[in-house]
Amino acid sequence: MTKHMQTNENTWEIGGKRLSSRLLIGSALYPSPANMEEAIRTSGSQIVTVALRRQSANVKAGGDFWNIIKSLGIEVLPNTAGCHSAKEAVTTAQMAREVFGTNWIKLEVIGDQYNLQPDPFETVKAAEVLIKEGFEVFPYTTDDLVVAKRLADVGCKIIMPWGSMIGSGKGLMNPDNLIAIRKQFPELKLIVDAGIGKPSHATQAMELGYDGVLLNSAIALAHDPVKMADAFKYAVEAGRLGYEAGTMQQREFASASTPTVGTPFWHQFNEEV
Amino acid sequence: MIKVSVNGEIKEVSENLNVLALIKELGYTTKGFAVAINTTFVAIDTYADTIIKENDEIDILAPVQGG
Repeated sequence: MTKHMQTNENTWEIGGKRLSSRLLIGSALYPSPANMEEAIRTSGSQIVTVALRRQSANVKAGGDFWNIIKSLGIEVLPNTAGCHSAKEAVTTAQMAREVFGTNWIKLEVIGDQYNLQPDPFETVKAAEVLIKEGFEVFPYTTDDLVVAKRLADVGCKIIMPWGSMIGSGKGLMNPDNLIAIRKQFPELKLIVDAGIGKPSHATQAMELGYDGVLLNSAIALAHDPVKMADAFKYAVEAGRLGYEAGTMQQREFASASTPTVGTPFWHQFNEEV
Repeated sequence: MIKVSVNGEIKEVSENLNVLALIKELGYTTKGFAVAINTTFVAIDTYADTIIKENDEIDILAPVQGG
C-alpha cells in the first residue's frame, strides 16, 4: 500500500463534500443494471450522475434503477441532459432537487444537436439563475476560456470543460485550452467532462492539474465495463499523483540518464583517433 | 372534461383538478416523481393549490440513468 493511500492525504473538497476519489462516473449505457452497479463500485467513484425522464404511471417511480443508486451510498449528481434553453434547464434542475434531494446539478444546455456542443449563452444564463436559487452548479462547457470566465463571474465554483464531444472517446482535443483554463482559475474546481475514451486520456487530464474527470461511455461501452472501471480508478489516481509530484521539464535534445563517468571501454586512444 | 398534454400525450381529465387530484386520476404516486406545468416546476407542497387548466402541458419525470 502506498503512502498516500495509508494517510488518505489525497482527499479533496467539491460542492461542500470531502471525497477521496476524483473519478465522477455516469450511470447510463451499461449492458445491465447489475453490471452498472458492479462497475460503479469497482471504480471507487463517490459521485454518480443520473437524469430525469418522462415516465408512465404504471411504472414504479425510478424503478429498480433508483434503488440501486441509493444502495451505493455515494453522492448523486443529477443532470439536465436534453435541455436546449436556460428555462428548460432551470426547470429540470428544480425538479431534480425535489426528486433526488440534492442541490447539486450538472448543468447541460445543448446548443447543437449534431455534436452536442453546449450552448454557452444559455448555460451562463441558467447558471446565474440556479446559483441564486442555492444550487451547486457543475456546468458542462466547451474548453473556451472566456465562457469559463463568464461562468466564474456568475458564481460557479466548479467548471467542467469538455475533452471532446460527448460519447466520442476522442480524448483531449485541445490540451492547451484546458491548460489555459487551469492556469487562469487556480481556485476553481475543474473537471474534464465528456470525450474521455480510454484510461490514458483521464491520466492526461489529471496531469494537467484538473481536479477530476467525469466519464460514462468509456467504461459502460468497454468490452468489460467492470475491468475498465478498475483501469480508470488507477488512471485517475496515477494522473493526480503525477501532477502533484511535478513532471520534469521537456528538453529539445537527448540527455543520457546513465552516468558517463566510468563508462566502460572508453580510453584516451579514442580521443586520438 | 378538459384536454391536457401529459408527457406529450393528449389526455382528457376532469375539470378543476389540482395537481394532487390529477396525478391520482392518472395513476401516479406523489413519491419519486416531479411535476412541471408549461415548463414551470410545480413543487410538491404546492400541488393542492395548483389547478389544472385546459391545454396545460404537464410533464411528470422520474429518475433514470444519465451521463
